[in-house]
Amino acid sequence: MFPRLRSLWHNLRHRSQSERELDDEMRFHLETRIDDLVRSGLSLAEARRRAHIEFGSTEAYQVKVRESRRLTWLEDFVQDVRYGLRTLQTAPGFAAVAILTLAIGIGANTTIFSWIRAVLLNPLPGAGHPERVVALESLTPSNDWVPTSYLDFRDFRQYLRSLESLSVAYPMSVAVGDDRNTERMRAELVSANYFDLLEVRPELGRFFTGPERDEAQNAHPVVVISHSLWASHYHSDPAAIGASVRINRHLYTIIGVAPERFNGSMPGLAFQMWALATMHGQLHAMGDWMLQDRKTRMFRVLARLAPGVTIEQARGEVHAFGRRMAEANADTSQGMSATILPMWKSHYGIQESLLAPLSILMGASGVLLLIVCANVTNLLLARATSRQKEFSVRLALGAPRSRLIRQLLTESLLLSLCGLLGGLAIAHQLTGALQLLFPPETRPNLIRPPVDFGVFLFTLALTLGVALLAGMAPAFHAAAGNVNETLKEGGRSASTSRGSQRLRGLLVASEMALAVIALIGAGLFVKSFHTARAMQPGFDAHQVAMARFSMPSAGYDREQADSFCRRLREQLEHEPGVTSVSYSDYVPLSLGTGSWEDLQIEGYVPGPSENMKLYRSLVAPRYFESLKIPLLQGRDFTLQDDPAHLPVMVVNQEFVRRFLRTQYPIGVKVQGWGRWFTIVGVAQDTKIYRLTENATPYFYVPIRQIHRPEFPFTFFVRTTGSVTDAIAALQRDSRAVDPASPAFDATSLEDFIAQSLFTNKIAADLLSVLAGTAILLAAIGLYSVMAYTVARRTNEIGIRVALGARPADVLAMVIRQGLVFGLAGLLLGSLGAAALARVLSSSLVAVSPVDPLVYSAAALLAVAIVLAATAIPAHRAMRVDPMVALRYE
Amino acid sequence: MTEPAQLLPGTLDLLVLKAASLGPLHGYGILLRIEQITRGALLAEQGALYPALSRLEHQGLLDSEWGTSDNHRRAKFYRLTTTGRRRLREETQSWNRLVTAIALALSATTPES
Repeated sequence: MFPRLRSLWHNLRHRSQSERELDDEMRFHLETRIDDLVRSGLSLAEARRRAHIEFGSTEAYQVKVRESRRLTWLEDFVQDVRYGLRTLQTAPGFAAVAILTLAIGIGANTTIFSWIRAVLLNPLPGAGHPERVVALESLTPSNDWVPTSYLDFRDFRQYLRSLESLSVAYPMSVAVGDDRNTERMRAELVSANYFDLLEVRPELGRFFTGPERDEAQNAHPVVVISHSLWASHYHSDPAAIGASVRINRHLYTIIGVAPERFNGSMPGLAFQMWALATMHGQLHAMGDWMLQDRKTRMFRVLARLAPGVTIEQARGEVHAFGRRMAEANADTSQGMSATILPMWKSHYGIQESLLAPLSILMGASGVLLLIVCANVTNLLLARATSRQKEFSVRLALGAPRSRLIRQLLTESLLLSLCGLLGGLAIAHQLTGALQLLFPPETRPNLIRPPVDFGVFLFTLALTLGVALLAGMAPAFHAAAGNVNETLKEGGRSASTSRGSQRLRGLLVASEMALAVIALIGAGLFVKSFHTARAMQPGFDAHQVAMARFSMPSAGYDREQADSFCRRLREQLEHEPGVTSVSYSDYVPLSLGTGSWEDLQIEGYVPGPSENMKLYRSLVAPRYFESLKIPLLQGRDFTLQDDPAHLPVMVVNQEFVRRFLRTQYPIGVKVQGWGRWFTIVGVAQDTKIYRLTENATPYFYVPIRQIHRPEFPFTFFVRTTGSVTDAIAALQRDSRAVDPASPAFDATSLEDFIAQSLFTNKIAADLLSVLAGTAILLAAIGLYSVMAYTVARRTNEIGIRVALGARPADVLAMVIRQGLVFGLAGLLLGSLGAAALARVLSSSLVAVSPVDPLVYSAAALLAVAIVLAATAIPAHRAMRVDPMVALRYE
Repeated sequence: MTEPAQLLPGTLDLLVLKAASLGPLHGYGILLRIEQITRGALLAEQGALYPALSRLEHQGLLDSEWGTSDNHRRAKFYRLTTTGRRRLREETQSWNRLVTAIALALSATTPES
């Protein structure tokens, strides 16, 4: 290609020069010719006449020379495309199967890539220089990530030099509107410099400025709204600026509208409004103490790296400074530290829970794409074989082999581009399905990942790769044909193409192998899900209805919340069938982690680095009865365990086993929240976060002795009647007690805890779909190869039958060949799966990566599929009539 | 003497390559060389040589250089490149195959049943 480009360049640059040279060249020709003719005896005039006649029109040839200098490959390409399109038209069935297959593979990969891009690769759409934005996270002494307290944040902001600016970001659910018409929205509480940090400019109005940047609490009731809220609630009217809106019963003024692309600082999620973090106390109806308590760690912290500072340098400074702060504030932060993470690794946001499933899905869809490639290669090979004669003729007529290869690659490119269109259509339909990766009850405001230019580029690159991968072997194979052989042997030659048969067998076997890997992967996740679901959590979720409440967003203070709970409990206890009612701040087996408290236990000396931050639940009386958690010793909490009485505590068995080996647990004193609690009971161990966890020390304290109204709480109702009725009762009674504080997530406890396995469930479901598609495609591949083989061997089969082979022998022969491919694939696939499953073992719950049941089930299914795919061609082979077959060629 | 045979379409490039393979030549020299090696097979018009030369040069099969001819005129001399040499070999083979195939086809007496 290079000399051509050089020559083209030369011609473009020295257009007139090359024209002149051509003139010179032709003149030289004519003059020399005239000389020669004169020398042979003609007169000069006659010689001149003859020379010009012999030469023809110089003008016309100059035009032709100019034409010959154009980029011929472009013309070749256009010609190839035309020819390719014509060829595809003549084989519509082939084209349809190939394009559909490609569309499925490309569509699946595009969809999953668009998810990964939206969640991981492009976490802050709308922000300027997002790669310089990082997350600052505090670390507990045991190196767990925790949010940061407001006081710590202020220190970080004041002293860190490697960070240009810092902002808090606190997601909360707010009630917008008046008592009669409330809407739940997602707001982000942020520092005044939040938008500057993210380099976002207002679409309309302004963001937080000047006086709003002080630290005065509850002083600036202003709010910035999202572009979508502006469109849906204000009809995109500029008059929205300055309008008032009631948020958690307080009036706020709208000062600005964020640009359309900006959704907030949590990757994949969309927020509808932004208010100042200094308004936190008012929005939570709890005064200002939370922003002044170093132990109230609840803020995410965003930061922009200072110019020229790398993330490692910043991490070093933050880590060292975090340690110094922990020493200075030893009473609250002993042993703590802090770190810097890139946004996509931050622990607060959906990317954390999506990282593992998305990686697995990307891997699975990659496997699917490989199968698609193998399938298309196979189809192309079959076609190439039957077109061998056409190729030979073209070669014989002088077409260079490279031209033939290019022709075939153009055809595979055409197919792939059609597949690309189909794939984009599929992806466009599917991107919204990202929602499905979340349990229905906790489904956040997900953005719908767009199939934008970036995704398109990925898909295009993928398509070109597929075209090359799938087209390469057939193209070279076709071009390598021996012209003499083919032309000599006429139409029969193709059946002798041993190399092509071997290649196709190899492809089918690898397709089966890949499909088996996908099957086994899906099988492992399905089994893992079912095993985990069958585990005993240590409490009884049957016949329990639950509903969650979030008082702060309804603007309650502590007394109001307490009275709400008391009245609701009384109402519910009078419902028919209800045997016990209680509430708590934590639902066992919820996604995410609960809260911990630093404990000091009388008579127990912790080891030097022992983590005494233990997780706990705040529960109301009769909690153990409602969930049927057996109390092994002591008593339940009562209504008397209120702020006015001595603080008490119930601990679990593991707590006793770990800390109270030598003592009788009842009566032991434990310090937490700066107070001494007395242990009054011991409860049986239960699963707290995951069904698969080991027993951990855990404790319960009465919710009325500790509760702060900002904690959401959950009511549990045990009934002897139907759970559906109990759920309805919960919704009805809570509305009756206070219409402005609706129950949300009212459901059965059983359904709710099924969510703790939601990731496993979705991985199992999606992988099953992908594996099903994979095995189907592999079956099509196998079928096409077997059908093709039988068609090619009709002659041979005819001879066999003529020589006395029985139909059963023919059947066995074809099926045997199919099984050879199938079993080879099965063996390879099982080995591959065993190797890969070890990588997945961290995502697999309660199932071994080489689970024999899963492997044998996959093997059985694969063999069944192989038999099914071979059956039709085998049947056809069996019915070959020797007379017809021998006349066939 | 019979009429000189016309060149078969598509064979001009091959002949130009062949002619240039025997040593650097200017356009007119190539024409003479072709006449010589084909024992008189003629181009319909001599001008047709120039689009062919330009095409082959454009494809990187020929290299050119201005020099002085035997009759002391400025002339453009063509030389075969390495790619050109390889192409000539390939084309020659494929030409031979075609000839064999056609000869075979013509010699077949009865068609296959």
